Amino acid sequence: MDDRDLIGRVLAGDDRAERELYDAHVDRVFRLVYRMVGDTHRAQDYTQEAFIRGFRRLADFRGESALSTWLCAIAVSVTLNGLRSLKRAREREVGLDDAPPVGTRPVEADPDLKVRLSQAIDGLPEGYRTVFVMHDVEGYTHEEIATTLGVQAGTSKAQLFRARARLRESLADFARD
Amino acid sequence: MDDDPLDESLRAAARDYHQPPDTPREAMWREIARARRLDRARRPARRWVPWAAAAAAAAAILALGIGIGRVWRPGAGARLAPGSVAVRPEPAGARVNQTAYRLATVEHLGQSEAFLTLFRASVRTGSQEQLASATARQLLATNRLLLDSPAADDRKTRLLLEDLELVLAEIAQLTPEATAGDRELIREGIQRGGVLSRLRTVVPAGTTPTRGDL
Repeated sequence: MDDRDLIGRVLAGDDRAERELYDAHVDRVFRLVYRMVGDTHRAQDYTQEAFIRGFRRLADFRGESALSTWLCAIAVSVTLNGLRSLKRAREREVGLDDAPPVGTRPVEADPDLKVRLSQAIDGLPEGYRTVFVMHDVEGYTHEEIATTLGVQAGTSKAQLFRARARLRESLADFARD
Repeated sequence: MDDDPLDESLRAAARDYHQPPDTPREAMWREIARARRLDRARRPARRWVPWAAAAAAAAAILALGIGIGRVWRPGAGARLAPGSVAVRPEPAGARVNQTAYRLATVEHLGQSEAFLTLFRASVRTGSQEQLASATARQLLATNRLLLDSPAADDRKTRLLLEDLELVLAEIAQLTPEATAGDRELIREGIQRGGVLSRLRTVVPAGTTPTRGDL
């Protein structure tokens, strides 16, 4: 069954269609959200909220993009808002002087590449990190990223280029070793 | 710029970044289904509310809002009283006054904004759950009346009321046995949806108390 039929059934009030729509898209949405937050409980919360909002706004879906892209767009929006709120809350609670520096973690004595890369990705600016995760980690195309984030494909490419440059720079000493 | 890829070892390492676990399908679906049941329970009522009943509801909302304000913060009633002038009963058969709905909505959103501000401040202390829960239930009732009224015809207002409903419903379920984690989750919920900041954009500054106790 294609998305249009499923959407029609959901809008007509068919409970089972809601579950079918959820089953068809939840893995992709959860994977993306988890990649962005790295925490099961938060990923769960943000994914739930994305689907709740998606169902509420389904009547507004015009089919200009794939349903999965539209759902991912909602999920990314929910996730980025959540991460921003979390960051603000932590800054308030910890105090700026005590907060760990973002993107300038000290180099560990014998770091594993994955750990170093993970830290470097965490330290990327939000826009770079989102595009990098979507493209290089989850395999989205620039067109999909552009639709999801509401930017031009060229912007997505530029952000990815800068993200990779930052990562190479962060891992330069590791590469030399 | 895809012609500038990371080298293979970095790409392989990147694929392990925040490696997702199995999707917790059923756990998430339970929460989604619960929220959807709430949505559905609300919708039929909206279709069947006649205009006259809706007008009466708007007046009741404002009265209830003022009542909540007086119970919840003694002294606030004096400031809120002018709002009641705008919803004097209209002559029988008169056209429904949209201004009444708008004022009732602003009144309710103002009360909610003040309540959430105080709740967010007190959530760190871990006290006053019962009072918070009771106030949230009252606000929740008003919120649902507004969602069923023409006040919710405006899309932006409806979305704000829907998001507010979820937050109020969570606070209404708080018990004295609630853990710090429960309270923290609610506080995150308030922040995540930007509920407070959205409330502040629609509530005129200085119309509601934002200091004091719950």
